[in-house]
Amino acid sequence: MLQFTNTALAGLVLGMIFAAFALALVLIWRSTRILNFAQAPMAVLTTYIALVMIEDGRPYWLAFVVALLAGLVLGAVLERVVIRPVEGKPDINAVILTLGLFIVFKSGAEVIFGTKLRTYPPTFGIRGIEIGDTTIGITTSDFFTIGAVIATLVLLVALFRFTDLGLKMRAAANNQEVAGLLGVKVGAMLTLGWALAAVVGSLSGLLIAAGGLVQPSYMDSIVVFGFIAAVIGGLESPAGAVVGGLLLGFSLSFVSGYLSAQLVALVALGILMTVLTLRPGGLFTATQGRRV
Amino acid sequence: MKRHIWGSTAPVAGILAATLVLAGCGSGGRDDGDGDDGGSGDGEVAGDTTGVTDDSVTIGGHYPLTGVAAPGYSEIPVGAQAYYDFVNDAGGVNGRTIDFIVKDDGYDPSKTTAVTDDLVLRDEIFAMVGGLGTPTHRTVVDDLNAEGVPDLFVSSGSLQWGDDVENRPTTFGWQPDYEIEGKIIGQYIADEMPDAKVGLFLQDDDFGEDGEKGVRQFLDKQIVSVQKYTSGNTEIGPQIAALQADGADLVIGFTTPAYTALTQLNGLGLGYTPQWFYSNVGSDPSLVGGLLANFSEGSVDGAGALDGVLTTEYIPTNAETDSEWTQLWNEVWAANGGDGPLTNFHIYGMSQAYTFVQSLVAAGEDLTREGIIAALEEQGGDFAGPNLAPYRFSADSHLGVSGMRIAEIKGVASTPLTPVLVTDIGDAEITEDTSDQADDGPAEGGIPQ
Repeated sequence: MLQFTNTALAGLVLGMIFAAFALALVLIWRSTRILNFAQAPMAVLTTYIALVMIEDGRPYWLAFVVALLAGLVLGAVLERVVIRPVEGKPDINAVILTLGLFIVFKSGAEVIFGTKLRTYPPTFGIRGIEIGDTTIGITTSDFFTIGAVIATLVLLVALFRFTDLGLKMRAAANNQEVAGLLGVKVGAMLTLGWALAAVVGSLSGLLIAAGGLVQPSYMDSIVVFGFIAAVIGGLESPAGAVVGGLLLGFSLSFVSGYLSAQLVALVALGILMTVLTLRPGGLFTATQGRRV
Repeated sequence: MKRHIWGSTAPVAGILAATLVLAGCGSGGRDDGDGDDGGSGDGEVAGDTTGVTDDSVTIGGHYPLTGVAAPGYSEIPVGAQAYYDFVNDAGGVNGRTIDFIVKDDGYDPSKTTAVTDDLVLRDEIFAMVGGLGTPTHRTVVDDLNAEGVPDLFVSSGSLQWGDDVENRPTTFGWQPDYEIEGKIIGQYIADEMPDAKVGLFLQDDDFGEDGEKGVRQFLDKQIVSVQKYTSGNTEIGPQIAALQADGADLVIGFTTPAYTALTQLNGLGLGYTPQWFYSNVGSDPSLVGGLLANFSEGSVDGAGALDGVLTTEYIPTNAETDSEWTQLWNEVWAANGGDGPLTNFHIYGMSQAYTFVQSLVAAGEDLTREGIIAALEEQGGDFAGPNLAPYRFSADSHLGVSGMRIAEIKGVASTPLTPVLVTDIGDAEITEDTSDQADDGPAEGGIPQ
């Protein structure tokens, strides 16, 4: 029973981490119709900024906020300078461009911060919660991770559903011409979309790093699973991203704990194929027929 | 269209590469024949002298300088280089300086193949020395043998580097293989802790497999759980939870240092405190303690992070300041080392480099690829080096150091719990070492003559 609980809790936290990464992908997809492959190394860069500050003795949470702001600026600048020239061109151009950025940023992080493995201090505690005599495999840091992802989800849903800004962002993403004719500042909306997505991406980078080992490729194992989570959820829906992340997190955790860790990648692929076969648009898609 | 162009050039490149390889084999084979027929000492050098000139010998190695296996292991070639510099400053061996080329493969087997091709075909190394890693080196070991390149002292304890001399005549191991390490650990636990419920936490490759093979000889009935991890996937919480659920109160980890740190972290998160017993390669207390130090808040404090943990040893460590070997390594490090203090990974590289210099000396003035292999088979078993137990090098076995001792970690040092125990693979008995390997000191001046 304890093993079941602990494995489930590990799956919950892992799922939330996948969800955080998937949320950033969903956000950028909804607001610009681009799949950003450079999401992970961008998050690595901002996480390292925070890590360097912490190692220099600056306050932990100041570093945390600076990393998020760095993400905001990085996202906005990237959209203006690099992505803007390919907007309106075939979709594939932007995708290839973000793949290129993936390599540039990853190498950049290696050059600037070195390839040495470092530890990133946890947000809160790293000891499991004690209930009576038993220790349950969830820490106060894990609670923070879960809370942060849920808060991000709520904010995103509120933004897109209940605010004018969210509506304008969706309009700008879906049909630039019409949106422009209706008075939406399309360029500004696209920049904002990238900036916000990069903030969420930075958050996911920080949550994954906290209490773990960090090196420039530390996000690599999360990238694939985060993408799968987003696609399972349908790419459109923040709630879908979280559900996709959790589905994947629980499955992989139980596979590792009860079957074999070697099967993890295979099971992830299996889930992706099953979901896409049954619902080609993903679990939470509203509009049919849009292909990625 | 571009895809098609690529598609058509790839086979051509493949054929070109294959031709080069075959050409290499051909010449190596002929030289081999000459060497065997003519014998040595005729004045003319008979044999393959690739990478050898009158005043230098070029060698190479692949190491993880980046990636999840890099912590600690990336320091090994730095230590080796420091010792080669030390030897070169004294004039080299038989008038030849040692040029050591280090390539980064990031512990990624596909990169190992590429960097090894670079070393063999472009840099034309005389020998591969100290190539690191089980999954990585296995991708190149057969090519190196096919081309007749001496593949000396692989930095890994897999059995593949010495148990099959017929098929891999040029490959030599160095450190004790994981099977005898598993046997020695297994017997110790069976004798000293017969009631322990043993869990195994294994890297999912030969490293874990060979270790398990050895451990099972003695602990088959005591093992209650076997969990594995794939290098690169840092999410190991569920496996540790499974060890806990299966009731393991003693966990033997065949893990690399980063994963040793991760098992400790996950143990904290689960409130799981078995007796930990780590294989030598993953147990360096300074490194693992350093990784854990940042998780401070009183939970873990760096240096003492592994206090009470059991492990094995087969060369003197940096904490043994009384050892003449450690004194030599400190001298080498002071003269030729890089930044920072001397670590046990530097010492590993230096010790391995020392063995290579011994091999060069043994191979004599007319250095050939065939010659160094013959010299190792004939004399390697008697090399007096930092190794606590003798090497097993002979015409039948290319396996490395034959034994080790069990020790308990305290701070950054350790206390030996057993004398040096020696054995061999299979059902060879484990006995106390009677050679004086553990007591000898370095050669005069720190360089084998």
